[in-house]
Amino acid sequence: MNKNRLVGAAASAITLTLALSACGNAGGSPAAEPTGPGEVRVWLVGSDTPPEARDYLKKTFEEQNEGSTLVIEEQAWEGLVDKYTTALSGSDAPDVVEIGNTQAAAFTSAGYFREITADEFETLGGDDLIPGFVEAGDWEDKHYALPYYSGSRVVFYSKQVLGDTPVPTTLDEYVETAVDMTTDDLSGVYWPGQDWYNALPFIWENGGFVAEQAEDGTWEAGFSSEGGLAGLEQIQTIMTEGNNAPADANETDLQVPFCEGKVGFLSAPSWIQWSIKAPEKPEDPEGVPGCESTYGSDLEGMALPGKDGGAAQVFAGGSNIAIAQKSARPDLAMSAYEIILSDEYQSILAGMGLFPAKTSLFEKVDQSTSIGKAAAEAAANAKLTPASPKWADVESKMLLQNAFSKIASGEDVQTVAEQLDADIEEILNS
Amino acid sequence: MPAVGARPGLSSQVSKGSTSEGRLSGRQDMSSVLQKPPAPTRQLIRQKRRPSYLPWLLLSASMILVGVMTGYPVVRLLVMSFQEYERAQLMGQPAEWVGLDNYATVLTDVEGFWTVLARSFALMVVLVVTTLVLGMLVALLMIRIGKGMRLLVSVGLLLAWAMPSLAATTVWGWVFDTQYGVVNNLLTAITGDRWFGHSWLLNPWSFFLILTCIVVWGAVPFVAFTLYAGLTQIPEEVMEAAQLDGASAFQRFRLIQVPYVRSIITVLVILSMIWDLKLFTQVFVLQDIGGDRELTNTIGVYVYQMGMAQGHYGLASAIGVIFVIVMLAISYPYVRRTLREEEL
Amino acid sequence: MIKIRKRAADAWFGVLALIVFVFSVFPVYWMLNTSFLPNNRIRGENLAFFPTPDVFTLNNYRAAMFGEARAPFPPAVLNSIGVTFLTLVIALVVGFLAALALTRFSFKGRRTFIVLILVVQMIPGEAMIISLFRIIDGWQLLNTIIGLTLVYSAGVLPFTIWTLRGFVNGVPKELEEAAMIDGCSPAGAFWRVTFPLLAPGLVATGVFAFIQAWNEFVMALVVMQRPEAMTLPLWLRTFVQATQATNWGAVMAAAVLIAIPVVVFFLIVQGRMTGGLVSGAVKG
Repeated sequence: MNKNRLVGAAASAITLTLALSACGNAGGSPAAEPTGPGEVRVWLVGSDTPPEARDYLKKTFEEQNEGSTLVIEEQAWEGLVDKYTTALSGSDAPDVVEIGNTQAAAFTSAGYFREITADEFETLGGDDLIPGFVEAGDWEDKHYALPYYSGSRVVFYSKQVLGDTPVPTTLDEYVETAVDMTTDDLSGVYWPGQDWYNALPFIWENGGFVAEQAEDGTWEAGFSSEGGLAGLEQIQTIMTEGNNAPADANETDLQVPFCEGKVGFLSAPSWIQWSIKAPEKPEDPEGVPGCESTYGSDLEGMALPGKDGGAAQVFAGGSNIAIAQKSARPDLAMSAYEIILSDEYQSILAGMGLFPAKTSLFEKVDQSTSIGKAAAEAAANAKLTPASPKWADVESKMLLQNAFSKIASGEDVQTVAEQLDADIEEILNS
Repeated sequence: MPAVGARPGLSSQVSKGSTSEGRLSGRQDMSSVLQKPPAPTRQLIRQKRRPSYLPWLLLSASMILVGVMTGYPVVRLLVMSFQEYERAQLMGQPAEWVGLDNYATVLTDVEGFWTVLARSFALMVVLVVTTLVLGMLVALLMIRIGKGMRLLVSVGLLLAWAMPSLAATTVWGWVFDTQYGVVNNLLTAITGDRWFGHSWLLNPWSFFLILTCIVVWGAVPFVAFTLYAGLTQIPEEVMEAAQLDGASAFQRFRLIQVPYVRSIITVLVILSMIWDLKLFTQVFVLQDIGGDRELTNTIGVYVYQMGMAQGHYGLASAIGVIFVIVMLAISYPYVRRTLREEEL
Repeated sequence: MIKIRKRAADAWFGVLALIVFVFSVFPVYWMLNTSFLPNNRIRGENLAFFPTPDVFTLNNYRAAMFGEARAPFPPAVLNSIGVTFLTLVIALVVGFLAALALTRFSFKGRRTFIVLILVVQMIPGEAMIISLFRIIDGWQLLNTIIGLTLVYSAGVLPFTIWTLRGFVNGVPKELEEAAMIDGCSPAGAFWRVTFPLLAPGLVATGVFAFIQAWNEFVMALVVMQRPEAMTLPLWLRTFVQATQATNWGAVMAAAVLIAIPVVVFFLIVQGRMTGGLVSGAVKG
């Protein structure tokens, strides 16, 4: 009999909770939208957004919305999807969030972002917004996440390190040069094994593909296709014979080995140039030292050469930006959103070598230097990862990082490619 | 004097307590005869009339806390395991009932679920055996060595024990760092080969070797201290008598020391099994530093990835339920034994 | 002859003890060493094995605590202390009352409760994250110390009850009965006789609650999302996954800062801990 009482007590405790949490959830949907001053939280990821742009955003917002404040909270790329999954579904959600262009679909498809109406879309830039990135933030013909910036990779080098070595003009030459240059102390191409963004051009240039959707909707991954394998062979040659970077490292702090003079070619996002050109003794005790007086002084850039010369098809890196569905102040969030997509704000990004969200502002990117020109060439040939909401799962499982780490440590290309394709297909077709 | 030097506090206090108990009950005999007849009677009556709601009152706080914060999630876990529950459902879309689909998906996923489960169990066995064996050896060593050395070993063990696992894993990650780790540095100096750039975490075998190092390093102190404290309770005469009878060190270990601390060993094994099967922090952080997630997932990390990282909450819940069932099956004998003891 | 052999054996055991010591201490030592070295002396051929005065630096600590690029340190410390302290108190008080009920009273439903406490510990916590998040969110307790404390207390409670039950069982009931016969009330008898004997048990159990709350980061990741609500483990993780430098000197300094309170706590309670563990284990 007492046993029943225990069960009864537990049951009533559970019922109580169910009731309580039901109340809580109901309270989550706003009955009337509040007005007046408030706080807007903007989540920017990584350190790609320069301080000038952050200051401008905060200052302009607080001028336009008197009494309101804007707080920028920096997030890490690692574990970003995990964090957004809960944070954006909660009652204390941030208002405006940056999201990697390849990750956006996981959230747009699940209703995490507020819809950008057709009118708003026109005001914010309309057709001027980079089409590929707009598409990445669309779901069922509605806009949810608009482009924030794009930045394709540029190959950096310093004549002091290269010496007489000629700059390669085709992808095959690039591979050869890398292998020839490499010694115990010098990486022809510095390429940490997990940096998969740099690997995709080799696949595409050799006629391979990442994943394609057939008529019946099923996905087929193409790393083990003929072109894919040819690309992977080249990647392995560079990684194992033309590179001293660790096979299990990712692409943080690429300027450090470069500034030690141990790198021939470095394929990296264009904003890395500012880290390389930074002073040797940073003011912030934690700042990473650059090398403005040595290898930073004659820094040059070029687009990754294609198979037949010209610029290779590279991965279109970059971000989208969206307003959280659960934002407590959508009105203020929209105000911040408008500033972020304004010509002024985007011009600041362009000034740092990032490609702005609007094609009309591309010219603001300084193309008088070889780096700027290279960035423009690369951007013109940039491609995106497969447009599937499940693609974010491929990334959060680190499938590509792991596969390229294996290739960098010399494992059989065919085996790795087949396994990778099987894993990708399993996710995209699940 | 660190941990070990101190005699096992409670047991000595208990024996002190027992003597006073003897004294008290002695007095009880007397008092019941004559001196203070009313007092004990009243007390005994009061004791018999302890209200029946009292234990429930004492339990109420924990029942509310566990009921709400664990009971409700468990109910949700069960419910979600029968639903298609993804990110969209988290945003308020109604969840669809899918019957046993999630369970079918999980149970037929040989490469995923079963591999991870088998890996977790294999790892658990290795960890428990290594920890227990090393812990026992260290405990025996601590009995054998002099006071000064014992202090030294205790300090070392205490430091390793006190290191929070997140900090410890980070430090080990640095020790084995691919480029600048001290291990690669020393290996290069010793062997003359170039070890810089050798990745310890990329290969799953050396990943698990390092993981084992970290876990065992952190777990041996607890086991060693506990066993040492247990071993010091063996009366010295017993060991001496055995020695005089010509029992070798190993015989004394097998016939006297092990039986004496058997119950401690049982509890240590059970605790280690539960902890090592639920291992999370160390694996998660090591995977962050480097390492192939697919090839190094253990059950905790796998559930996390399935749910939090990929948003398949229905599948993650089903895995959770299956895991609990497996755990129950394994620990059934222990649960039954505990219950039998409770009946007494 | 025997004496010589014994002395040789002693030497061997001494060597073994030294090996155990070195293996236990090395990572801790290496963490301290790195945290006091400038960045150019912690890597490569220049590696310094000891922070001699000419290279010794506190810059890593400065960077870890006040570096601009980092999540702020002071609120993280305060949050961690708050959550850990509250969890410890709640777990011990609530757990102790429950242990009392389970050992000093016989009532129907007791066994069911004991089994439940055991079974609950087998559920992988990772599978419950999302539900816990929604409870805390529903109560508007995200980013609060109270919210995280509730999660942690419930998490450590089953183990706390289980262990304390062992300890209370270890103190004979007859002691209390004797005291009651001497004129104590049941509560008084318990308070004066049994409770003092339980101190080591409470300490031992408290250590587990303390470590759990101080160390945990997955639930914290979900519940504490604002930078000012971070706890120390989250703060440490921002170092490892920083998009900027993996500045190992600063990371190690941060690890030292997190480890210090635990080491201090262990040093304070160590004498009582092992004793407590044995009795608890024997009776467990």
